[in-house]
Amino acid sequence: MKKITALTHLYRLGALFIAFIIVFLLVRQWATPSDWNYEVWYRGDSLTEVGNLPLTHGGNESCQVCHADVVKKVSKLRHKNLSCESCHGPLATHVRGEKKIADAIVINQSRGQCLNCHAELVSKPQGFPQFTDEVEKHTTLIEGEVCLKCHDAHDPTP
Amino acid sequence: MKKIAADFDELDSVSRRKFLQYAMSGAATILMVQMSGAAATQGRGKGWKQMSTKHQYAYVIDINKCIGWGGCVRACGQENDVPEGVFRTWVERYVLTEDGVYVDSPKGGSEGFEPVSAEIQKKAKRSFFVPKMCNHCENPPCVQVCPVGATYKSPEGFVLVDHDYCLGCAYCVQACPYGARFINTEKHVSDKCTWCYHRVKKGKQPACVEACPTGARIFGDLMDPESDVSLIFNDSQWMVLKPDMYTSPMCFYVELPREVV
Amino acid sequence: MDLPHGALVNYIFPNNEIVWWSILIVIYPYITGLIAGAFVVSGFSHIFKIKEFKPIANFALIAAFSFGLFAAVPLLFHLGQPQRAFEIYFTPHLTSAMSIFGYIYSSYLILLMLEIWLIYRPYFIQQANSTTGLQRSIWYILTLGVTTYHQDSAKIDQKLILFLAGIGIPWAFVLHGYVGFVFGSVKAIAWWASPLQPVVFLLSAIVSGMAMLMVMYTFVKWRSNAPYDYPMIKKFIAFLWGIFILAFVLEILEVLFARYESGHHWEIIEPLLNGPLFGSYVITQVLVLSVIPVILLGYVTLSNSKDKNMLYLANLGSFMLVLQVLFMRFNVVVGGQLISKSERGFVDYHWEIFGGEGVLVSATILAAPFVTFYLISRFIPIFENSVQR
Repeated sequence: MKKITALTHLYRLGALFIAFIIVFLLVRQWATPSDWNYEVWYRGDSLTEVGNLPLTHGGNESCQVCHADVVKKVSKLRHKNLSCESCHGPLATHVRGEKKIADAIVINQSRGQCLNCHAELVSKPQGFPQFTDEVEKHTTLIEGEVCLKCHDAHDPTP
Repeated sequence: MKKIAADFDELDSVSRRKFLQYAMSGAATILMVQMSGAAATQGRGKGWKQMSTKHQYAYVIDINKCIGWGGCVRACGQENDVPEGVFRTWVERYVLTEDGVYVDSPKGGSEGFEPVSAEIQKKAKRSFFVPKMCNHCENPPCVQVCPVGATYKSPEGFVLVDHDYCLGCAYCVQACPYGARFINTEKHVSDKCTWCYHRVKKGKQPACVEACPTGARIFGDLMDPESDVSLIFNDSQWMVLKPDMYTSPMCFYVELPREVV
Repeated sequence: MDLPHGALVNYIFPNNEIVWWSILIVIYPYITGLIAGAFVVSGFSHIFKIKEFKPIANFALIAAFSFGLFAAVPLLFHLGQPQRAFEIYFTPHLTSAMSIFGYIYSSYLILLMLEIWLIYRPYFIQQANSTTGLQRSIWYILTLGVTTYHQDSAKIDQKLILFLAGIGIPWAFVLHGYVGFVFGSVKAIAWWASPLQPVVFLLSAIVSGMAMLMVMYTFVKWRSNAPYDYPMIKKFIAFLWGIFILAFVLEILEVLFARYESGHHWEIIEPLLNGPLFGSYVITQVLVLSVIPVILLGYVTLSNSKDKNMLYLANLGSFMLVLQVLFMRFNVVVGGQLISKSERGFVDYHWEIFGGEGVLVSATILAAPFVTFYLISRFIPIFENSVQR
């Protein structure tokens, strides 16, 4: 039977504490991500992971790969500055792994699609082509008609 | 142990207490000085500055060209899986009148804008659109306040979020003066515009810049003297948002009207 | 409604529609405040040797411990990824005030447990020697197997208790003061950004802890039909009154300075206080719950009111202060988020009753320390004169 001294309880407390610290340090060592960059204080692999996220849009240059003739034609027309994908949908819904998975048709062919940019608003820049519903030539065609009946989407010059 | 106890015994209780209190306040002071020192350097990150000086990316916005279409917001949403109701980028409409400033951003501008009320239209002196997004500040308060290091500034200057490490505490959301950050309602972590880091890494433009038909949004490398951003940056009148916050944003607004906050 | 920067309509940024720090983040600083306040009371007895507080020193300590057990719970409910909470131990980002929470909180809990253990050790030993079976096992573990009380242990234990009480006070200050820093350092939110925040939070924490202790003490004594220690109550209220005046003056000073300066902060704070926060701040927090307790508790301190009369007034005033600090936390935490970063509008706060961040969850978390305190009191004597050797 060990002798109980005035400090026995403190020794035991101390031992308990040291054991706890050791366990804590071990767990911390195991749980801290191995790719942690202590200099800059973030997980190094995160940079690579964010960099490797899949692309949804390809940009006009990606359309050129298969549709070079159309892209070349449009590049001389009024709407040459538009992103093809803004009407035709993002590349990822059309192509996967260099194989076509669906048609890149324009889903919204209503007047709304055109008026989204071209409806008149006081906030739009002065030089930008804007129309109200009462554009002269259209007064007989307003109800339910689509712009595309008479205008080419790639070159909508009247 | 016995000797320590004995020594401790010998000290007079008042001086013992005094010693402890001084020690504690000394420790507290050191802790605070350390922290503010750490804040001064770590937000800027000695590490990341050393890692790369090959690129310094910047974003330039010309509010005079924006037509308030909203396709940029939609493109970003598609490119980055942004949930409904939160926005990595958005477009605001300003209408300046003699009586005050009218601002709106219906659904972040993602579906365009309806005309303003006749009353406001009558009083309008000037009106324009302002695209907004994360400014990828040089001195980002969001990076400073993250308790675990889940958001950071990359070597190329992008402020990014580590979705696998973030706790979702939303302190960074509070600290951002520009309202650019939010909690992703599907992933329950902090989220924001990344300037499409994954696209830029592959030599492409951010999705919003791709989508913009009028050149209101431009992105590029300030260290490339031929780039559009360099030319505009060096020649034009530009201003950043909330300069009094001293966050050193890297989004520059050409001829930004003073009413824009 | 008055709006800043000449706004014609209330405009908030698209990302500002949700108030991310809800009432869970209101009760979190409230609970840590109670810890600091209760601990300071036991510190008044141990360190500053205020003899009137000796009988309640242990009571205060155990209350601090009960509150302490639940301080982290609201945070766990709030986190988007609570299972990652431990990252605060692995990679604390020291530029962030919030990063020190993990270590400060844990070490403080350990300090509390140590101090309580040292104080009650004689009682644990007594119990271990006079019970059998499962009960005995539990008491035995609590004594760490030391079932005889050595003569010289008393002196050593006393010194350690004093030491712990001594460092406990600045430690409690850091535990709650850092919360003030968390808010005060956010330059993006005008209602938060102020160097006064850590001090204001700390002083109001002490107020809340003391006021809560007064109410708890009265309740416990009433339920157990025990006598009230009137001289202690009088002194207690005197301290509470003085500290509250200090806290209140600093709270108001912030607003006064902003108003006088008439700068960027006031541009945003004025419409906030005249608008969304008028009811909960101007009327409730300041006029009702601050001015009236100052009068009530001042009367208790300065007059010769005594006995039951004093008890009622002391408790009425204390209860109002319990509410005042809760309102203050709400007005700061939620109030600050009502300001949109657009600086041209205010956000609506939607009260959730059910759901993870709702009123029911918050009320339950707030009630838990009291239940715990009650359970602890069933096993160990709370008031000093019961710990006989």
